[in-house]
Amino acid sequence: MMQIFDVFLLEAVLNGLLLGGLLALLSLGLNLVFGVIDVVWICYAELIMVGMYAIYYLYAVFGWPLLLAMAAGVLLVAAAGAALHQFVIRPVLAAEPINQLLVTGGVLFFLQAAATLAFGIEFKNIGVSFPPIVVGDISFSMPRLISFGVALAGMLALYLFLKRSYLGTAIRAISQDRGIMPLMGVNPHRIFIITSALGGGLAGLAACLLVLQYDIHPAIGLSFGPITFLICVLGGLGNMAGGFVAAFIFAQFISVGGFFLAVEWGYVIAFVFFIAVMFWRPQGIWGSK
Amino acid sequence: MKIWRFCAHTALALTMAGLAAAAPAQQKEIKIGVIYDYTGPLAAGGSLPGAMGTKAAIDMINERGGIEGYKINAIYADAQSKPDIAINEMTRLIDQEKVDLILGVFSSGQCVPMAQMADAKKKVMWATICVASDVVKGKNLTHFFRVQVHSDQYGETSCKFLNENSKAKLGKDPKDLRVAIIYEDGPYGAGIGGSNEINCKALGMQVVLKEGYSATTPDLSSLITKLRRARADVILHTGYNPDITLFWRQAREQGLKWSALIGHGAGYAQYDKLHAAFGKDADLIFNVDPAAAQLLDPKTLKPGLGDVTKEMVKRYIAQVKDHKVDEVPPHVSMGFNHTYVFLTDVLPRAIRKYGGISTEALRKAALDTDIPVGGTIQGYGVKFYPPGTPMSGQNERSSMVVMQYINNNTKIVYPTAIKTADPIMPLPKGHTFAP
Repeated sequence: MMQIFDVFLLEAVLNGLLLGGLLALLSLGLNLVFGVIDVVWICYAELIMVGMYAIYYLYAVFGWPLLLAMAAGVLLVAAAGAALHQFVIRPVLAAEPINQLLVTGGVLFFLQAAATLAFGIEFKNIGVSFPPIVVGDISFSMPRLISFGVALAGMLALYLFLKRSYLGTAIRAISQDRGIMPLMGVNPHRIFIITSALGGGLAGLAACLLVLQYDIHPAIGLSFGPITFLICVLGGLGNMAGGFVAAFIFAQFISVGGFFLAVEWGYVIAFVFFIAVMFWRPQGIWGSK
Repeated sequence: MKIWRFCAHTALALTMAGLAAAAPAQQKEIKIGVIYDYTGPLAAGGSLPGAMGTKAAIDMINERGGIEGYKINAIYADAQSKPDIAINEMTRLIDQEKVDLILGVFSSGQCVPMAQMADAKKKVMWATICVASDVVKGKNLTHFFRVQVHSDQYGETSCKFLNENSKAKLGKDPKDLRVAIIYEDGPYGAGIGGSNEINCKALGMQVVLKEGYSATTPDLSSLITKLRRARADVILHTGYNPDITLFWRQAREQGLKWSALIGHGAGYAQYDKLHAAFGKDADLIFNVDPAAAQLLDPKTLKPGLGDVTKEMVKRYIAQVKDHKVDEVPPHVSMGFNHTYVFLTDVLPRAIRKYGGISTEALRKAALDTDIPVGGTIQGYGVKFYPPGTPMSGQNERSSMVVMQYINNNTKIVYPTAIKTADPIMPLPKGHTFAP
């Protein structure tokens, strides 16, 4: 009979923690953009895909150092985020939310199709491998550990930026009252562009970590887009701290649930939990009404 | 570049087909709706090489002047790795394009509903690559034909191979062998996984874990933890891509070990991709699949078939220049061979014996098929189980081999009678996954 509290259960819990770090990082940018601009980037995971392709080509094809390629990837996706706001979101900023949703959904399909045409359907990877980290009988993944650290650092840096800097204060202010801030001399459009670039930059950061763990292909966004969106909603759409915690809850359901039952049951339990929370708190666990 | 070139050729073929349709009817033609996944994750998982094989066979026949005065007018459609798109395309091809035959399909998830639709619409479907036994099992299909092997055979072959080599190579009686079965949970993976379990248990092996997962899952770490806990000697894996590469990457990062890993077609047939992703760590993988035609000794086949294989390889290499000949994926052979069988065996009979290319003529000609072993470029013969039998429409003479990737070369290691190398297991010391 299986021991319930064995060392492999501890490994599953730790792996869930590390998966939570990855999902938390994915949710940061999406939450930031929604919290400030009030628009959901359905195409967020596809921006990450763009960043992954950029890093692949710069590093594996053009021979740039990996860290430099990653920095360029972050900047590129930040620029893409700003461009997305300027050319796609801004014209529909005053429109119904469903229109905003559809327009970013259109960008999702555009980016997928454009990536297929531009890069082909072949799976690509940067060919970087990591040995396992072994502690006693427990093994876990180094890229996941790095993701976990970067997610924590990213969350802290974003918190400090929003709390301690003038620009961060302006971003928080405009997220609280979009109407009054222009009367105080703040240009909302400029703040929205900066926020979109920040959101894009966080997507680029996620791309840096995903490229170490996954093959790159035009449909990779389908593996992460829906789950990232659910985590943001679970934590309270626009609430970065809520999304951060929700990512870890979700990941534990997937990892530990998948350990005790079949892998797919982990997802079933996570989604049942999500539905139950939506009945109890439709605004998400940490969202405000 | 190779994809661009292939797309350009396909587009050119489409344009020419369109022009031909617009021109005054000077030559008879058979319209064939060809459905594969040209985009989406399944395209790189093996569908595109299969599609290239099919197109090479059609082009070759057309360049020789067609069949019995009929040109092959192929209309290519992209299922986009989605069953609903495959169904929509099949409906469009039958109802609007008025094709005479549906041919192709890589994914078993698409094949299951398409086979039912073929019967419902009374249109012949000639399946080339999809393998799930459930496509035909107990369905009594009358308009669906599949030359390809079926998933029950995969499960049976890998277990028989282990049974034959366990004692000699792993030093364990089969009853002491610990086998783990993991698979993507669509009809393809679940079919092979189920067959693995039945056959390995019947041979007395210990199945220590059997578990499915979604091919699009972003995380397999808990499955790998369970595999580490199960301490399996051998892992039997059935998957597409990117789930296979995700499994391998996470297995390496979490320190999973095995004496042997046996894959079952699809992603495991794309050795060049696995080698590109994992380098020498991908060495010594086993793969169960119908034999890639270029690996067989042409002297064991019907005279002339060796030249057909050479032509297939030449056409494929021309589009994918960086391939070694023995790395041409088995999917190319499947796409080519099964299309070639229809065009050179069934179609001439339909025209000559049954008077044309009507659905009934094609169906009767297919049921008459009787190609002996050694009569196709992949070695097996073709004869379909007739309507009223449990596997109606399935080729009863299909067979498969176990291959192993040894030092970047593909070798046949089972059945023993035709093997080109001895299987290497357990993994030698120093290999990343060696226990």
